[in-house]
Amino acid sequence: MTATQNVSMPAGATPPASARPTPLRTRRRGRFGDRLLPYLLLLPALVAILVLLAWPLIQVLVISFRKLDLGELVRGKLIWVGFDNYSQTLADPEFWTITVRTLIFTTAVVAATILFGLLLAVLMRHLNPAIRILVQVTLVLAWATPVIATTTVFQWMFDQQYGILNKTLDRLGFHSFIGFSWFSTGPSTLTVIGILIVWQAVPFVTFTLYAGLIGVPREQYEAAGIDGASPWQTFRAVSWPAVRPIMTMVTFLSVLWDFNAFAQIWAMREGGPDGGSTTLAVVLYLKGIAGSHFGVSAAIATLMLILLALITGRYIQLLVRTKEGDLS
Amino acid sequence: MKRWLKLAAGAAAITLATAGCAGSSGTDAGSASSSAPAALSGTVTVWLMTGSAPTKLTDALNKEFETAHPGVKVNYEIQQWDGIQQKLTTALAGNTPPDVIEIGNTQTPYFASTGVLTDLTDAKADFNGAQWLKGLAASADFDGKTYGVPFYAANREVIYRKDMFEQAGITKAPTSNDEWIDAIGKLKTKFGSDPDFQALYMPGQNWYSLLSFIWDNGGDIAQANGKSFKSTLDSAGAKAGLEFYKKLVDTSATKAPKDADESKPQQATVYGAGKVAMMIGLPWELDTAVKTDASLKDKTGAFAIPSKTAGQSAPVFLGGSNLAIPGNSKNAAAAKEYIKLLSSAKYQAQLAAAGVVPGTSTDTSGLDSSPLGSVMAKASVNGKAVPASAKWGDVESGQNPIKDMLTAYLTGKKTLDQATADANAALDKLIGG
Repeated sequence: MTATQNVSMPAGATPPASARPTPLRTRRRGRFGDRLLPYLLLLPALVAILVLLAWPLIQVLVISFRKLDLGELVRGKLIWVGFDNYSQTLADPEFWTITVRTLIFTTAVVAATILFGLLLAVLMRHLNPAIRILVQVTLVLAWATPVIATTTVFQWMFDQQYGILNKTLDRLGFHSFIGFSWFSTGPSTLTVIGILIVWQAVPFVTFTLYAGLIGVPREQYEAAGIDGASPWQTFRAVSWPAVRPIMTMVTFLSVLWDFNAFAQIWAMREGGPDGGSTTLAVVLYLKGIAGSHFGVSAAIATLMLILLALITGRYIQLLVRTKEGDLS
Repeated sequence: MKRWLKLAAGAAAITLATAGCAGSSGTDAGSASSSAPAALSGTVTVWLMTGSAPTKLTDALNKEFETAHPGVKVNYEIQQWDGIQQKLTTALAGNTPPDVIEIGNTQTPYFASTGVLTDLTDAKADFNGAQWLKGLAASADFDGKTYGVPFYAANREVIYRKDMFEQAGITKAPTSNDEWIDAIGKLKTKFGSDPDFQALYMPGQNWYSLLSFIWDNGGDIAQANGKSFKSTLDSAGAKAGLEFYKKLVDTSATKAPKDADESKPQQATVYGAGKVAMMIGLPWELDTAVKTDASLKDKTGAFAIPSKTAGQSAPVFLGGSNLAIPGNSKNAAAAKEYIKLLSSAKYQAQLAAAGVVPGTSTDTSGLDSSPLGSVMAKASVNGKAVPASAKWGDVESGQNPIKDMLTAYLTGKKTLDQATADANAALDKLIGG
């Protein structure tokens, strides 16, 4: 185990672009069929992508312009309502409250996830191997626990009467926490859910960032040390350039996951109390699955997609543009 | 020649793919509405919910049905309540729906109003229509037509510890709200030194119990006006019901969570621990408690939820199920025969013996032998249902404003007026109009 320690990994270096085969100049001799063959071979994959990805997306778009409740679904009636579903959704002031809440929640959770992930990754880089493995195993275990199981455990921990948190706080001298309800307001409920989601998301981010960090050759840190760089300067000059593209990617992924988070929120308090922890994903469920208003919920899904595209647009751009981030 | 072969293959693949998509889009459903074979044949698929009818009953029923109709095979399936609405929605939208389904009574108006069920108005007489349990039957009526047959119902009652009442010097079960509060006081005086003791286990969101108190005070959840509904949670009766709920919670000093209903945690489990003198629940919840402590079976009795008027019992919420036939059932005739057999006196008596109030028979003698069941049967006469609004499903499967109202009021986050006004507006948004 220690032997592998000082081997510098070439993972940070961009792998050489695969050499493009020089096009064979056989156009004259090649028959029509031979030229068609590559496209025909591509066809199955293309069809699969269209059927599995594009088709559902188009369906959602089409449904969002229809009135589709249970009756219409069963009888197969087509009722086009134009932009009614959208105007109805957008005219509801509650929709905007929930949108703002979702955005704040997503921002907070993503920021916390990335921050903790980065701190842990840097920490792991400096730990001695035995302890590092212990930390890694712990992280994997946290990551591997099913979402609903973790949610249940968190519910118990934060329970008003029997929760270990209130009991601990009481022992520590904060007696006002006896019988304190963590789920009495929306923001406090969302904070608990946020902690839960961060707890579940940190392992993935940590491992990904750690993978970026171990790509930095030891010599670079030694060089920085010889130059008398402070730990912060070392991080800025040596570690940061290595993890930045990966960080862009995990931020992008975290935004997608946390914006669409549903299971934890629903399992915790079903969007309560009084709708205080309802996010857009919960609204989608309430309208679509609980209420069978598939047209309206398709419109909400489309709006969420547009919103996500707006938020992540810059990241996608960065991913495509930056040299380091060129993952293709 | 080869290239044409390839082209043809490609074209075929595209055709297949698009055909597959068209087939799954479901726009061609609903063509099979006329199905009335002269002689009964084929298969009749029956979906009953878990815990509805005992296996002994359904085994005998299916056997008798298959003997009486040799051409028909019964495909009997037990469904879980969890996620049943989605499952029914998917099944009803498909091409091969089940032929007999059980629908919770609060969900029935929703399915009835969307026109996905077979109209059973003319067949009522076949199903013992004269003896239908009124509170249940109302839920299956829409626009003057009947879309469901009452299956069974149950209602809540106060389940109590006879031994504790005796020790506290309470000689007879309370028959009015005042006596009830009085009993809580006596129990607390006797057992209050035990910090774990609860005279009444009363979680903050037991809204079915709240309905009893609201109705008892002359209020209601919503007022029907033709097909539209206007919620009336801010009425004086509703407020009085809510106040009584708070009085029970405060007097009993229950340790139950104020932001959860009776299933989180299961109140029967709490009762089973032996430190609770009363809970408002369904008769069979005792079975759960007995699993923890077998001696509770003999120590437990029941009385009807008391009314503010001495000597009466409060109206109760009737929870239960209806039987229905999906509109696109392929074997509706056989399905009708099946329901006819199930609604006959013989099987209804067996349902009563199993501990529920039968839906199509007024004979509840089967419940008499059980101390908890007989109390329930007596109170069921005064049973009521939630508003028969097609949109009621949104209330129960989504975020229930009545539960939010209870928590907000009981925790003191909102005043009585504010809590009821907010809940009224929220409920109107769901079922109003």
